[in-house]
Amino acid sequence: MDLEKKTGTGRCELMGRKNNELLRTENLTKDFGKLRAVDNLSLSLEKGEIRGLIGPNGSGKTTVVNLITGVYRPTSGGVYFSGRRIDRLSPDNITHEGIMRTFQVARVFADMSVLENMLIPAFTQGTSRREARHRAEELLDFCLLGKLSNEPTRNLSGGQTMLLQIVRGFMRQPLKLYLLDEPFAGVHPAIKDVIINTIQKMNREEGVTFLIVSHELTTIRRLCSRISVLHGGGVISEGTMREVANDPRVIDSYLGG
Amino acid sequence: MVTIDWTLLSQYIISGVVIGLIYSLMAMGITFIYGIMRIINWSMGEFYMIGGYLQYIIITHFLGVENWYLGVLLSMVGVFLLGMVVQGLLIKPMFQGSVERRTEYATIVTISLGVLFTNVAVIGAGPFIYSPPGYYHGTRILTLPVSGTRFVAFIGTIVLLSLFYLFLKKTWWGRAFQGAAQNRMGIQTAGIDVFRLDQIAFGIGVALAAAAGALLAPEFYLHPRCGSIATMKGFEIIVIGGLGSIPGVLCAGLLLGLIESLGAVFLNPSFRDVYGFLFLLAILAIKPTGLFEERERVA
Repeated sequence: MDLEKKTGTGRCELMGRKNNELLRTENLTKDFGKLRAVDNLSLSLEKGEIRGLIGPNGSGKTTVVNLITGVYRPTSGGVYFSGRRIDRLSPDNITHEGIMRTFQVARVFADMSVLENMLIPAFTQGTSRREARHRAEELLDFCLLGKLSNEPTRNLSGGQTMLLQIVRGFMRQPLKLYLLDEPFAGVHPAIKDVIINTIQKMNREEGVTFLIVSHELTTIRRLCSRISVLHGGGVISEGTMREVANDPRVIDSYLGG
Repeated sequence: MVTIDWTLLSQYIISGVVIGLIYSLMAMGITFIYGIMRIINWSMGEFYMIGGYLQYIIITHFLGVENWYLGVLLSMVGVFLLGMVVQGLLIKPMFQGSVERRTEYATIVTISLGVLFTNVAVIGAGPFIYSPPGYYHGTRILTLPVSGTRFVAFIGTIVLLSLFYLFLKKTWWGRAFQGAAQNRMGIQTAGIDVFRLDQIAFGIGVALAAAAGALLAPEFYLHPRCGSIATMKGFEIIVIGGLGSIPGVLCAGLLLGLIESLGAVFLNPSFRDVYGFLFLLAILAIKPTGLFEERERVA
């Protein structure tokens, strides 16, 4: 109940489903000099959901991902993961909490092979080489990258590189929350389908929760049961795609209102 | 008509290869630290000097010259730990905070550190030149009669560079270092503490300098400025080879050694160092990024 009061101070009214909460941002604010990129944001994610985060350019979507993953420190407010405050942790420690992320420009290791890229996240989690390799091969096969596993990563296409970046995140075990920043941008439709299938499979089979930042509304509609709309660094609307699409504030924000 | 003494020529070639490879050890340390942290450690020569002094103390006071190889290892371990402490106290805090111009800060810190270490050595060792006894009796590499120490330094360098290569290519830690060199944020969000990697990389880099210092101590004598020539050669090598490139270091080290050696034969031995610098200038004019240009790292 206390939480409802706190989230009520944000711009969105959360729907009161708190028992299963995995991630919560509380009055999260980030300033870059005089620019306020994230403004008093209160967002809550349930375990096992696939949440879409949409909004016009410059609305603060990537900054939110950067704040949750420790790349930026918030100016004020906090990030709580499974009830534990994480906004003072470094990115590597946040990864150890079971949170992974991707970047708009894929952060792969270009001079390593596809398989070596997959093995990197297993390094610090005490998985044996054999186990790690087995899981990597399974994941690569599922994503149709199996044949490329010994290929230097710099030879992959843009879409394959993005796919690899996404699949690599699943090497972290247990993976509880996965933040995908524009995973479909510039990706061939065939690869996009593979990404969607992978997200759905990992959500269904391993219970991974997703927060997906994207401009691709049709794909977001296909994947996400709930969507949060960001504008001016705060959530202006939240609900199903139908609900947010009919919200006049959302329409205004996209039309420059 | 000029007649060439092929035996003499082959001796100079081998001599060039030997000294070039030994200097590569120093350059490898500089380039490894740069590859991970993107800073130049200007105090490498002083870590070389400390490695030499440690080796001298260890083998003359404790282990005896017959255990020189253990001395080299212990000197490396000692300098590795010193490097870790120095990096942790003076450089790491700048990288963890949001300090701007931290590479410039690191430049000032490492130059100052070099001055500090040199002066500590002046106080500790006094106005004397030390030299540990040679490690091995004089021998031959193919046609070249070489001093035992230089032979040992050559073999030691090959062993250390091979181990370093295997470490980078075959171990988890090596992969993590490669990842950090290619994409720092990528490695951090994969769950690896990059600041820890920085610290270890600094330790390994200065330990390589210490190995060069310890291996060459009987050959070039020990004094507080004894690392300056090796440092200068190390920097020449990384500029010729391409900063951050490991194959570049090896190739440039061998080339530099050969050019200096052959210049000494065919031109004038007094200007040995000048030939290396002329080669460096030629490379800068033709290929300013060095022979093996390192690919840009994604931040």
